[in-house]
Order: sequence, then C-alpha cells, then structure tokens
Amino acid sequence: MTSTKRFLDRIMLLDLFAGLGITFKYIFKKKVTVQYPEERMEPSHRFRGMFRLDEDRCIKCTLCARDCPIDIIYIDWHQEVNPETEKKEKLLDRFDIDLQRCMFCGLCEEACPTNPKSIWLTTKTYELASYERWENLYIDMAELQEWKVRPEYTDREIEK
Amino acid sequence: MAELLSGLREAAGPFLFDYTIQPALKIALVMAVVLGLIAYLTLAERKILGFLQVRTGPNRVGPWGVLQPIADVAKLLVKEDSIPDRAVRWAFVLAPCLVVGPALVIFAVVPFGPSSATTGGANWFITDVNVGLLFVIAMATISVYGIILGGWSSNSKFSLLGGLRSAAQMISYEVPQGFSLVVPLLMAGTMSLNGIVMSQLEQGRWFAFGFFPFGFLAFFVYFVAGVAESNRNPFDLPEAESELVAGFHTEYSGMRFALFFLGEYANMIVVSAIGVTLFLGGWSRPFPNVEVLSFLDLGFLPVGLAGLVWFTLKLVVFLFTFIWFRGTFPRYRFDQLMDLGWKWLIPTSLIAVVGTGLAKILFG
Repeated sequence: MTSTKRFLDRIMLLDLFAGLGITFKYIFKKKVTVQYPEERMEPSHRFRGMFRLDEDRCIKCTLCARDCPIDIIYIDWHQEVNPETEKKEKLLDRFDIDLQRCMFCGLCEEACPTNPKSIWLTTKTYELASYERWENLYIDMAELQEWKVRPEYTDREIEK
Repeated sequence: MAELLSGLREAAGPFLFDYTIQPALKIALVMAVVLGLIAYLTLAERKILGFLQVRTGPNRVGPWGVLQPIADVAKLLVKEDSIPDRAVRWAFVLAPCLVVGPALVIFAVVPFGPSSATTGGANWFITDVNVGLLFVIAMATISVYGIILGGWSSNSKFSLLGGLRSAAQMISYEVPQGFSLVVPLLMAGTMSLNGIVMSQLEQGRWFAFGFFPFGFLAFFVYFVAGVAESNRNPFDLPEAESELVAGFHTEYSGMRFALFFLGEYANMIVVSAIGVTLFLGGWSRPFPNVEVLSFLDLGFLPVGLAGLVWFTLKLVVFLFTFIWFRGTFPRYRFDQLMDLGWKWLIPTSLIAVVGTGLAKILFG
C-alpha cells in the first residue's frame, strides 16, 4: 500500500506541488525586513554597546583598567582636600578608552565594585562605525559621560 | 494611426510597404516591448523571490524599486568589458550573440493576436511561417551552442564545466521537448503557429486539455523541458552558482554578461509564449467552446487587442511559474537530471505522442 502510494506520489509529483503550495503561501506573509536607516531594531537589555561612565559614582579604584584583558582603559587620578567638607577626595584626571581594540567583553563592568556600576556597556548603542581609524575611537572622560551620538533611550538605562 | 499607416502605404506603394516598412515597424515595436518586458522581468523576479522569502525585494531605486532595471542596465553598460588573456576571442565575442539573437528571432512567428482574417485589419504577428513550429525548434536549439561556445572559449575550468553540462542537458531535454511539440502538431494538423491557434478555436478546446490525458502530459513535459532549456532553476546546472561560480558566464563581464542575462530571460519569454500558443490557446479566451463565457471575449475592445490581453495574461502566469519554481525547488544533482530526462520525460512524451495519434485515428 505504502509503496503504491509512494509510486503514485512520484508519478504525479505530489511532493513538488506541496512545496509549491507552501512557497505560494509565503508571498502573502508579513515581511520581516527592517528598513535600516529609517527603522532600527532595539537591542536586548543585555546588549553590550558603547561605554558610559558616571564620574560621581566612580571610586577611582582602577579595577576596570586592571581587569581589562587588552589594557585599553587609561586612568589617572590624584587626591585633593575638598574645601567644603575638609575631607580628602580622589579626583579623576583622565579616564580614556581606546576603542580601536575594544572587543566589548564587558569585564570592566563586571569588575566595577560600586552599586550601581559606574561604568557600564548596556547603552544599546551599536552604530560605532567611522570612516577613519583615528576618528571617534579614542574616547575620553567627557565623551564617556555625555556621549554625543547616543540615542535617547540610553538615559532610561541610567535610572535602573 | 490607421490613417497615417494607410497614407504611408499609398506613398511607398503597397509592395514596398507590405514587405519592408510594415514588418520593420512591427519588429521595432515587438523588440521594444520584449526588451522592456525582459528588463522588468528581472525586477519582478527579484520582487517575487523576495516575497517568497518574506523579504521586500529591491525598493530603494524609485518607488517600489520601479527604476531598478534602469539602474542595472546603466551599471552594466558602463562596466569594464574584459576578455581573458588566453580566451578564444572570436568565439568569446560570438557566444553571447548566439544566445540572444535566436531567442529574439523566435518572436517573429509568435502570434500575439489574431490574423487579418479575424480582425479584418492588421495581422497581430510579424509573420506566419507555414513551418513555424520547425522554425521555433531550430532557433531554440541554437542558443545552447552559444552557451557551449562561451564556456569553451573563456579558457576557465568553471566555464568549461558549465558548457559541458549545458551540452548534456540539451541532449537529454531537446528530445522530450521535441516529442511533446509533436502532440499539438498532430492535433492541429499544421505547423503554422497561427494555424495551431485557429484550430484550437475551431475544435473549441485548448490543446493542453485535448485527448485527455495526452495533451496535458505533453504540456507538462514541454514545460519541464522548457524550464531546463532556458537554464532556470531547478535545472540551472550550467550556471550552478554554488558549484561553478557562475558556470558558462564566469569570465564574462559588463555588456557581454548582460547579453547572456538577456538571453536567459528572452528564452523564458520564448518558452512561455510558445507554450501559451501551442497548449493554452494562444490569444483565445479560456473555454472557447462555452457560449456562456463569451463576455470573456472582451467585446468592448478591438478583437486584436482583446486577443493580446489574453495572450499577455497567460504569458504572465507562465513567467510567474518560472520565478515560483526558482523560489521553491533546489537544483537537481547531475545524475538526477539525467534520470528525470531519460527515465521519465522521454517515456512520458512518447506515450503522449502515441496516445494522441491513436486517439486521433479512433475518435478524431
């Protein structure tokens, strides 16, 4: 019985017609294309994008720089007496990230001891391409805190 | 328009007009329409393939991608036209022309609409050869030489393999196609394409449904062999992008590649047009024997134009099926291709030919 059925299928090419039917249905399905420059997909909450740094939360422990596997975080700081509170405070002189070699592993964020983290990558920013190697890829402290091309939804992440 | 033509006829003399000016005008018109159709067939193919794959297809050049073919042609025209160092120059140059030329020549005998006997005015085809079907078979075969020649002359292993595959494919698929073309020939009793359409009208049936199932079998075999003939999926072994880079046109660039491309699409249209003419009643309406459906004759249009509308509709269905096949079926392996051709199509077409002959003697 089954062999006869298989023979009939073969002769009448039923499986081929079934395939044609399935592809025909797909013509009317909703298209999945995202028209990129006009539409953008929002990355997931865990997506590791561009860095951000909050200088007020940062305790200048340099753990992030030490944990960075390719040593691209450069931190200089000095101590100073705050004239208002008369206490000694650490102040950042430099907090630079050389993005050229960064692989966005997120180990710096993991190493950060403050809560909430003072350096984090979940900014959902992924449009980091540039035309020149030296353009935009060396990020200093000011840029890290107020990154100029970051999208609007980044601030929502800060509150979390 | 008609006045202009009749004035021209008087000025040039009826002989000169009927045998040079009128055909030249018709040829110019048909070529323009066919080339435009080919250009937009590429767009339609990319769009439909996109839809089949849940994409949108090209939509950047012009609204809905309408200007895409123009951009493609402009790109191909300005591209560098390179000939490989050790290629056989004359064959390399000749090959693309051999693919395109015959495919376009076939349109000379395709009846797009009724003859002057039906319209009372102009013939809606360029010419009506009394061995039209033979002419079509002869011309359709030449394009394969172009592919083989192109594959051999480019001095590249991929091209050569593509050309050889094309030769083998031709041998296996010309035979069943030829047999299947005999069936409408038997049914109509004439080789003139216009005569075949007219006899479908007289007998009141499309030949695809004549002497069931033999007409249908022949139609099926013709279509499968036609897909193979125009090197389309699932029979695109000569090109075989994943195995042979681009097969026989690997070494071609610029306008010469465009000619091959043009030839493939022209072949698609030719196979469709001949299939429509021989098996699906050409320019006649569906069910020409059912009186109730006579509103399908589109009486509000001139007879010729109504015929052209039906012809175009059937052609579009054919072309859509070509693209649909490409979006559905994977490529046949070489031995499967041979298996299908020799073990299935040739016996089937033989059965169709013998069956039609017997049926014609017994019931015709």
